[in-house]
Amino acid sequence: MSLRMLLSILRRHSLMPTLVLLQVALACAILCNVLFLVQQQLAPMLAPSGIAGNELILIDQLASRQKPWSAAEVRRGEQVLRQVPGVRDASAAFGLPMVAGLVDMSLQGGNGVKLGVNGYLGAGLVKTLGLDLVAGRDFLPDEYRDFGMGGDGNSKWDPGAQQPIIITQALADQLFDGGQALGKVMSDPGDADGHGYRVVGIVRHLLRNQLRLASDGRADNTVLLARRIGSTSMLSFAVRVDPAMKDSVREGVAAAIQREFGDTIKAGLVARVSFYNERRAQAFKSERAALWLFAGVTLAVVIVTVVGIMGLTGFWVQKRTRQIGIRRALGARRADILRYFLVENALIVMAGVIVGMLFALLGNGLLMRHYELPQLPWIYLPFGAALMLVLGQFAVLGPALRAARVPPVVATRSV
Amino acid sequence: MFGYYVDMALRSLKRSPVLTALMVLAIGLGIGASMTMITVLHVMTSDPLPGRSAMLFTPHLDPLPLDHKHRDDGPDPTDNLTWPDAMALLSAHRAKLQAAMAGGSLLLRPARADLRPFTVSGRYGTAELFALFGIPFEHGQGWSSGDDASRARVIVLGKTLDRKLFGSASGIGQTVRLGDSDFRVIGVTADWRPQPMFYADLSAQSFGDTDQFFLPLSAAVDLKLQINGNQSSWSKNDSGEPMTDAEMTWLQFWVQLDSAAQVQAYHQFLMDYSAQQKVLGRFQRPATEAKLYSLMGWLEHKNLVPTDVRLQLWLALGFLVVCIVNIVALLLAKFLRRSGEISVRRALGARRRDIFLQLGIESATVGVAGGVLGLLIAELGLWSVRRRPDDYAQFAQMDMSMLLGTLALAVVASVLAGLLPAWRACRVQPALQLKTL
Repeated sequence: MSLRMLLSILRRHSLMPTLVLLQVALACAILCNVLFLVQQQLAPMLAPSGIAGNELILIDQLASRQKPWSAAEVRRGEQVLRQVPGVRDASAAFGLPMVAGLVDMSLQGGNGVKLGVNGYLGAGLVKTLGLDLVAGRDFLPDEYRDFGMGGDGNSKWDPGAQQPIIITQALADQLFDGGQALGKVMSDPGDADGHGYRVVGIVRHLLRNQLRLASDGRADNTVLLARRIGSTSMLSFAVRVDPAMKDSVREGVAAAIQREFGDTIKAGLVARVSFYNERRAQAFKSERAALWLFAGVTLAVVIVTVVGIMGLTGFWVQKRTRQIGIRRALGARRADILRYFLVENALIVMAGVIVGMLFALLGNGLLMRHYELPQLPWIYLPFGAALMLVLGQFAVLGPALRAARVPPVVATRSV
Repeated sequence: MFGYYVDMALRSLKRSPVLTALMVLAIGLGIGASMTMITVLHVMTSDPLPGRSAMLFTPHLDPLPLDHKHRDDGPDPTDNLTWPDAMALLSAHRAKLQAAMAGGSLLLRPARADLRPFTVSGRYGTAELFALFGIPFEHGQGWSSGDDASRARVIVLGKTLDRKLFGSASGIGQTVRLGDSDFRVIGVTADWRPQPMFYADLSAQSFGDTDQFFLPLSAAVDLKLQINGNQSSWSKNDSGEPMTDAEMTWLQFWVQLDSAAQVQAYHQFLMDYSAQQKVLGRFQRPATEAKLYSLMGWLEHKNLVPTDVRLQLWLALGFLVVCIVNIVALLLAKFLRRSGEISVRRALGARRRDIFLQLGIESATVGVAGGVLGLLIAELGLWSVRRRPDDYAQFAQMDMSMLLGTLALAVVASVLAGLLPAWRACRVQPALQLKTL
């Protein structure tokens, strides 16, 4: 049967095909947007942290009661933590992932691109966090400058000279042509008289603090600054431990913190001591719940659409039983009838997909305007289209097979 | 005739159970998903203090310097007041009732040996707090403004905490050790838990546990107790006394105003105060920055509904549309299959209107069944929402209006879905159909 005939039949009986088309269009629009939302939610969860998560204990919620802790007290805290059995390394730090408090800054690279990044501050973080240094070197001990929060005058951000910086591979690729960042200088566009940063090392991965921004290739927008925590009224620590002694070492660390800072911590506060991986699971709890919801919606939309197409096509096949019988009597094979219904469905679904893409872009436009969502990438459209085609063919298979089984003798009866 | 049509509808639906089940399932799923999200939104935007909310207002000043750059992702410093401003508004006493307050979590060390120390959250406030919000007392009473002035170490406990610490006898006259200080219990309030917690620092906490204690703000400042909300400071030099610093906002302030004239007058007072502070050199921004929000206006301004919830609501409504289109398709198939039956009725004298009514009632029957299923699915959905880790989640409950709304929405949706199929079925030519019978 020629395509022209098929189209003319569709035109003559346009109500049923229009309804199928509308169903497909709506389902396609919703599925494209839901898949996109899922991807947005998944990206931060799937981004590699670069951190040895089950070997890292994080300590925060430490605020001083009266006066800030001095740099010497912070150093002693690190020292005491290192002496706990099972501890391999300890650093006082700011801005770490899964820890309250963040350092954000803007950097301009050799190719003029400007990016917002999170900075991590603290001495020896490459070793403590267990980062994978792919090029260059760690900071040298004499490169660190003191920096504190709410402390005394030595906590100035800009020391008046070029500072060494360690960046991630992803940042090197974005900020420098060909990713050749080592030894190059970056500037801070927000700081007019800044002296810039010289890249001394590159680490493979390091997850940023702002998890909400950790999608669309921004998960690794993180730098390490050559700062040692000085006089400060807010403290947090990163402690690298022996994973074999997980449970005992946590208690040891908590006891050491209580001994060292228990008397000077703000009344009513209790320091939080927990593994990076536990905090990560906690931080993504809400996202995981949302993912289940999206999965449920996707499944429900798919089921409802398939059922709708099946019901409608089934009725249409029944209505045309006589015509099918006539065609069979005139020499059409079962395969011809089957193919006819499959092709017909494919045509309708394709038209529906085109309308659905328009709906999807329209819906995405609305979401973008009101909810700060990024543009729906084009790649989702053919993907959604393919999914709908498969679903359509699957839904029509049953009715089409039933149609193919109609015997030619039906043509001679009045139904 | 109506009863007859309902009977006909039931018979017709029973004749094709699979198709009927599919339609009921489709509308049930759509309605269930939509009502789950609509209920969540309803709970989040409901009046936290029915009856009193219309009289409560919160003043806001802008003490920020002109060159202060506000970061988009950070909390707004002008959401709260500084200590000097709050004290000035308090002592001016221009409203019927007024109170300054802030939240705090403190470590409580119980006298009972069988209880380990635990953290409780509560509120530091000034004397008129209880009258202002209408917090009901079980025993005793609140403190006086004299206690505020003398920074008295007194405390009012919530019923739950009182029971936990002192059992069935009320703890009035006993002492409670919070942080490093002792407080004398002078009152016990009934459990009072408006949601959202409109009077808290909403950027920090909006839904959650009820306050378990109240103590004088002056005592909290005296003892430098820990504060829960945001403390936004733009001070260049550290005074060492951040709580009373004129360049740090951390206090919430609420007033009761009974008439529009009073609201007008209070707003004028705020602008006059700002202008005066500007003359004194403390404020740099225009006096028109001083704002007075009503309770519901403040909640709207703070926009407590998270983006996720709104997105999920749109998603659920989109899904409902998919379901409705699906039911249009299924009803069309169902009605047109009965062309023969309809033709017989038409031939026997039924008008198109009668056919339309009969089919409409059949759609509505599907809608009622779908609505009941939708209710069950919505309850299931709300149960899953309550298991979410977000702080608003535990309050997602369906009330009577939502329950009736669900059924109404289901019937409206199914009748709408039945319109096109019923219209189409009415136009069947009886003669043509009867010939083929």
